[in-house]
Amino acid sequence: MLGRHADSLFWMARYLERSENLARQIQAAFYHSLTRKGDDVDEWASIIRRTGMADSFDAKHDTMSMANALNFLLRDKTNDDSVISLLAKSRQNARSVRNALTQEVWQSLNESWMTGSEALKRPVNIRDLPALLENIIKASSVFRGALYGTMLHNDIFNFLRLGTFIERADNTARIVGSKYHRLLPTAAASLGGSDQSQWEVMLRALAAWRSYNWLNKGHLDPTAVATFLIFDNRMPRSLSFCYGEICANLQDLEAAYGTSYACGDSARAIAQQLDNGREADIYRLGFRDFVSSFMADSNQLTLAISADFNLGP
Amino acid sequence: MIAADHMFDEMLDGPDARGREPYRSLLSWLEDQDFTKLRKQSAQAEDLFRRIGITFNVYGDEDGEERIIPFDLIPRIIAADEWRRLERGIIQRVAAINAFLSDIYHQQEIVRAGVIPASLIHENKAFMPQMCGFTPPGNVYTHVVGVDIVRTGPDSFFVLEDNARVPSGVSYMIENRATMLQMFPELFASHRIQGVGDYPKQLFKSLAESAHTFIDNPNIAVLTPGIFNSAYYEHSFLADEMGVDLLQGSDLEVRDGRVIIRTTAGTAPVDVIYRRVDDEFLDPLSFNPDSVLGTPGLFDAYRSGAVMLANAPGAGIADDKAIYAYMPEIIEFYMGEKPLLENIPTWRCSEPDNLAYVLEHLADLVVKEVHGSGGYGMLVGPAASKRELAAFSRKLQANPSNYVAQPTLALSTVPVLTKAGLASRHVDLRPFVLVSPNGIRVTPGGLTRVALKKGSLVVNSSQGGGTKDTWVLEA
Repeated sequence: MLGRHADSLFWMARYLERSENLARQIQAAFYHSLTRKGDDVDEWASIIRRTGMADSFDAKHDTMSMANALNFLLRDKTNDDSVISLLAKSRQNARSVRNALTQEVWQSLNESWMTGSEALKRPVNIRDLPALLENIIKASSVFRGALYGTMLHNDIFNFLRLGTFIERADNTARIVGSKYHRLLPTAAASLGGSDQSQWEVMLRALAAWRSYNWLNKGHLDPTAVATFLIFDNRMPRSLSFCYGEICANLQDLEAAYGTSYACGDSARAIAQQLDNGREADIYRLGFRDFVSSFMADSNQLTLAISADFNLGP
Repeated sequence: MIAADHMFDEMLDGPDARGREPYRSLLSWLEDQDFTKLRKQSAQAEDLFRRIGITFNVYGDEDGEERIIPFDLIPRIIAADEWRRLERGIIQRVAAINAFLSDIYHQQEIVRAGVIPASLIHENKAFMPQMCGFTPPGNVYTHVVGVDIVRTGPDSFFVLEDNARVPSGVSYMIENRATMLQMFPELFASHRIQGVGDYPKQLFKSLAESAHTFIDNPNIAVLTPGIFNSAYYEHSFLADEMGVDLLQGSDLEVRDGRVIIRTTAGTAPVDVIYRRVDDEFLDPLSFNPDSVLGTPGLFDAYRSGAVMLANAPGAGIADDKAIYAYMPEIIEFYMGEKPLLENIPTWRCSEPDNLAYVLEHLADLVVKEVHGSGGYGMLVGPAASKRELAAFSRKLQANPSNYVAQPTLALSTVPVLTKAGLASRHVDLRPFVLVSPNGIRVTPGGLTRVALKKGSLVVNSSQGGGTKDTWVLEA
C-alpha cells in the first residue's frame, strides 16, 4: 500500500476518534454543569486545556462560558480541533483514500460530515445539544460497525485501527493526567467523600461510568478509578486495552510484511511498562510521572510508525 | 440541413402521438406515472449522489463547496441501428486520430502530401517535439477518447469535438445507469438495454494490453491531480473499480530508471499510468519547470520504455480546434475512405476566402479560438450585440489564423422532468472509446449532457447542464 494512503487511513481514524472523544467530554461536562449549582465553568476550561486548545481559545474569547466553550469546541471552523473541523478532516482523509474503503465505510463518514455540518451551521441550542452529541458519537459507532462488517481485515484495516487506538490512548492519558491530583489516594480525604462528581465526570467522559459502577458495586474510590482507567484490560478505553490492540495490529503488519519493525518493539515496550505499573503499584512508581512518561513514549511511537511504514505525504 | 428554426425532438417527433419508435414503450410508461412521485424520486436520486459523494469541486469557490451535477431521470434512447452507425463512425475517426498522431510524431507524411500546412503542426502549442521519433507500445496514442456528438435530425449526426487528452464523465455514465436500475427496475425488465457497467474492466484490460509486452501482469495506477480536482470523484471511482492504486505526482519517484512508489512495505514498481493530469504537469524536467505537481524524470522513464502513459503526451494536438477543421481530410488520408460521421462545417479563418465569408456572416456564426476550450473567447453570433460583433470582427481581422467559425446548430432535444411536467431540452452525447493494440471498443451509449435551461444550447455542467442515462437498445 502507498505510504501516503496508509497515512490518510491512520489520520482519518484518529480524527474521527478524536471527534467522538471530544463529544463525550462535552457530554460529561454538560451533565456536570446541569447537576451543579451556579455557573461552574471549570470543566469547560479543563477540556480546552488538556486538548491543547487554550491559546487558540484565549485568542478568540475574553471569557470562559458554556456558550463560548460550546461554540469553540463544536462548530468553530477556524479551530482545527473543533468537532466540525475534525469531521471535515476525517472525511477529507477518507476521500483521498476512497478506493481503499468500502462504500459503507466511506458513506458512514460522508454522512456524518453532511449531517454534522448541517447541524452545526447555527449556534447550538441547549435543548438540541444532547441529541447532537449523541449523533456525533453514533457516527463513530456506525463507522466501526461498517469497518468490522465490510472491510478486509488486512493492512488497510490495521492502519485504521492503529489510528483509533493511538488516539484513544492519548485521550485517556490526557484526561487521567490532567486530573491526576483527583486520582491520588489522598484525594479521597481531601474531597471528604462529599464531592465525588470529579470521578463521575471523568468516567462519563470515557464512556466508563456504568461499567465502573457495575464492577465496583457503585463504590467510588480514587485508586479503583485510576486502576480501572489505566490498567483494566476489559475496559475498551483503558491504556492497557488500547496498547493490547496497538500491539496486535502492529504484529499483524509485521506478519503481513514478513519483517519486524522498531515501532513494534516500542509498542511492546510500552505495553510492558503498563504491565509493570499494574504489578508494582503505580503510586509507588509516581503516578504523575508514570502518566507523563507514558504520553511521551506514545508520541514517540507515532513517529516511529510513521518512519517505519513510509507514512507522511 | 441545419437551419436553427426547427428543433428535432428525439422522443416526440415521431409519425404520431406514440412518439419515435425507440421511445414508444417509455412514453406509455410515462403516461402511467405520477409526476409528483417522479419528482420526489428525482430529489432522492440527487440525495443519493451526494451521500455517495459523486460531487465535483467548483474552482474558485471560497467555501470549497462540492456540488452534484443535476441528474434528469428521463432516459435518452438510441436505437440499435442508430448506434451501429455511430459506432462505426466513431471507430473510424479514432483510428484516424491515432494514425495521424503516429504520423506527425514520425515522418509527417500528411504534411509532405500538402494536406495539412506544416505551421499548423509546428506552431501548435499542443504539439510536443519531445515525442518525435518515439513510438508508444502498439502505436496507440489515445487509449481513452471521448467523441462529442450532436444530432440535428433523424439521420443527422455531427462530431462537435474530439477529446483526446483526458476526457472525463465516464463515472457519470456508470452511476446514472446504476441509479436508474435502482429506481426503475421495471423499465429494465421491459426494455433490452446494452450494459455499460463493465467499462472499468474494459479499461483495465485495455491498459494492460497497452503495456510494454515484456512486462507480465503490469502494475497499473491512476494518476490524479488530487482531491481538489473537479473530476477527483471519477479518478477514485475508476481506481476503485479497477482495483488499482490512485496516485498523485508526488507519490511517484524515478529511481534507477524505474518508476516506483513508496509503500508501507518498502517500494513497488508502476508499469502503466492512466494519467488524469495534463501534459504540462507530468514532469517538471521535461515540460513545465514551474510545476510542483509532476514527477521529475517521468518522461525520460516513459521514453525509455520503463512505464506506459495513457494517453500519450502530445496526443492533445489531435483535438485542437484548428486540426478539427481538417478531420475529414485526415480521415480520408489515413483510412482511404470518406468519413462516416460528419464534421460540423468549419471555416478556417486563416484562409482569405473563408475569412471574408465569416466576416460577412458573423451574426449567424459561432466563432471559436483554435486553442480555446470550455467556451472561453468564443463569439455566439446570433446572441451577440452589434457592438460585440464589431469588436469581435476587429479581433478576428487582427489575427485570423487564431479562429475558426461554425454555423449555429439546432441541437436535438429530449424531454426532461420539470416542475411543470415534461419539457424539451437540448442534448449532446459523449461516447467513450477505449483503444489498445488489440482494437478499438466503444461503450454502447455514453454520457448524455443536457442543457437544463429552456432554449439553452450550453450543456456544460459548470453552466447549468445536467446528465441523463443513455440507453442503446439491443438489436
